[in-house]
Amino acid sequence: MKKKINVDFIVSLIFRIISYMTFLVVVLIIFIVIADGVRYFKPSFFIEYPKKAMTQGGIGPAILGSLIMISLILLFSIPLGLLTGVFLSEYGSKSFIGKIIDISVTSLSGVPSIVYGLFGLALFSITLGFGTSILSGSLTLTIMTLPVIASSVREALAALPRELRESAYALGAKKTETIFKILIPAGKNRIITAILIGAGRVIGETAPVLLTGAVFYSTKLPKSLLDPVMTLPTHIYFITMSYGADAQWMAKATSSFLLILVLVIYLIAFQLRKEEKNV
Amino acid sequence: MFNLTAIREQTILNIRDFDGWYGQKQILKNINMDIYKNKISAIIGPSGCGKTTLLRSINRINDEISDYKTSGEIIFEGKNIYDKDVDLTLLRKKIGMVFQKPVPFPMSIYDNVAFGLKIHGIKDKRKRDEIVKLALKRAALWDEVKDELDKPARELSGGQQQRLCIARALAVDPEILLLDEPTSALDPIATQKIENLIEHLSEEYTIIIVTHNLAQATRISDYMYFMYQGELIEWGPTRIMVRSPKKQLTEDYLNGKIS
Ligand SMILES: Nc1ncnc2c1ncn2[C@@H]1O[C@H](COP(=O)(O)OP(=O)(O)O)[C@@H](O)[C@H]1O
Ligand SMILES: [Mg+2]
Repeated sequence: MKKKINVDFIVSLIFRIISYMTFLVVVLIIFIVIADGVRYFKPSFFIEYPKKAMTQGGIGPAILGSLIMISLILLFSIPLGLLTGVFLSEYGSKSFIGKIIDISVTSLSGVPSIVYGLFGLALFSITLGFGTSILSGSLTLTIMTLPVIASSVREALAALPRELRESAYALGAKKTETIFKILIPAGKNRIITAILIGAGRVIGETAPVLLTGAVFYSTKLPKSLLDPVMTLPTHIYFITMSYGADAQWMAKATSSFLLILVLVIYLIAFQLRKEEKNV
Repeated sequence: MFNLTAIREQTILNIRDFDGWYGQKQILKNINMDIYKNKISAIIGPSGCGKTTLLRSINRINDEISDYKTSGEIIFEGKNIYDKDVDLTLLRKKIGMVFQKPVPFPMSIYDNVAFGLKIHGIKDKRKRDEIVKLALKRAALWDEVKDELDKPARELSGGQQQRLCIARALAVDPEILLLDEPTSALDPIATQKIENLIEHLSEEYTIIIVTHNLAQATRISDYMYFMYQGELIEWGPTRIMVRSPKKQLTEDYLNGKIS
C-alpha cells in the first residue's frame, strides 16, 4: 500500500516538473525576446524608415506592410473560409464533393509554409503575372489561412446544440435562414477566436512572403497591390542574414514588437473563448 | 376505445398505421390514435419507448435525422402530412414545438419571439410588437421581461428561457403545440409555472406533451397515451385510464412496476 502511494507521488511529480519546465521555456522566450527589444522602443521607431544600412531609424514601412497584408488576407479568407466551413458542416459532409473538400482542408493545414510559398510564387507571381507584390503575398497566405478558418468554422457550427437548429426549423425556418440568422451568430465567438488565432499565426509567416511579396528595403510606400512591401518578419530575416552587428538592435526591436502584436491578438482570442464558455 | 365524451369532441389529428424506423431498427409500430382539439394529450411510457420519435414525427422535425423513415399516415386538416406536396414551413407554422432543453436563439428576448414572424413575412413593425407582447403574455413571461426586451435571451433563468421558447412557438399562431418533456430540465417552482401555463394554453391550443413524469401527466392531461417498446398500448381520457386501465401493461406502468 505504502509503495503504491510513493509511485503515484513520483509520477505526478515528474509530470508536474515537465509541465512547469515547458511553461518556463515559454515564459523565458517571451520575456527575453520582449525585454531585449523593448529598450529600443521610442515613438520614431514605429514611424520612421530604416536609415543608414538599418543602423538607425525605424520600422514604419514594415508595420504598414504587415497591416496591409493581414487586412487583405482576412478580407479574402474570412468570407471564403466561412462559406467553406458552412458547406462542410451543414451540407457537404456526406456528399462526394464534401468528402473531397473535407480531406483537402484537413491535409492542407499540414503542408509546410515554404511549399505554399513556392506554390504562390509559381501561380500568382509568375503564371498570373502579379510578380513580387502585396497581391501575390496575401493570396498565398490566404491559401494557407483558408483551411484553418474553414475547419474551425465547421467545428464551431458542429458544436452547437442540435436543438438550436431544430428550434429554428420547428418555427418553419429554411436552412439558409437558420444558418445565417441563428447558427453563425451563435458560433460567432468561436469563429472570431479561430480567425484571430489564424491571423496571429500568419502575421509571423516569413518564408511564403519572402518568395512572393516582400522586399528587403523600400524607400517608397506601395502605390498599388502590385507593389511589394516590407513586412515585420521578413524585415527581421533580412537584417539578421545580411547586415552587420550595428543593425542587430533593429532585428531585436522588431522581433519584440512582432511578438507583442501576436500576444495581444492571442489575448483577445482567449478572452473571447472564455466569454464563450461562460455563456 | 370510444366513449361518450370522446365522440362529442372534435379530433384535430389522426394517426393511422404509423411506423417509424431509424435505419433497419423499427421504433414506432403500427400507431393508431386520435388527438382532440383544445385538449391536453400526454404521451407517457418508459424511457426509450419511442415517445420523442412519435412527437417529432408530428411536425416532421425528425426528417432532419437522415436515416429516419416512416410509413402510414398522420392526418391533419384532412391531409396526410407525409404527402409529397406538403409545405413544411406552413406545417411547422401550424404545429409548433418546444424542446426538452430550452435553447434561446443568440439574440434579444424580443428578437427571439419575433423570429418566427419575420420568417412568415410579417413585416409591419407595429403588428410585430403587438404579437410579441401577446405571445409573451400568453407564455406568462411578459410581466417579468417587459422592461428588458432588448436583453440577450440567454441571460434569463432556465424556467424563463423555457417560457420564452413557448412564447416563440406561440408567436406564429400554431394550432397544435408539441412539448417534449418541457420541464425535465427545470426546478420544481419553474415546473409548476409551466404546468399552470400549459393548462391555460389548452383553451386556445391543442397541446401534446411527452413526459415520463406520470404524476405530471395525470395532473394536467385530458387524454393519456401509453406507449411501450414502440407500441401504443392504450389510450383514452386520463381520468378513466388512471382509474381503470384496460391492459395489464398499462396497469403495471401506472403502479410503477415498469419504468
Ligand atoms: N437518431 C437516432 N438514431 C437511432 N436510434 C435512435 C435515434 N434516436 C432515438 N433512437 C432510439 O429510438 C428509441 C426511441 O427513442 P425515443 O423516441 O427518444 O424514446 P423516448 O422519448 O420514449 O425516451 C430508443 O431506443 C432510442 O435509442
Ligand atoms: Mg424522449
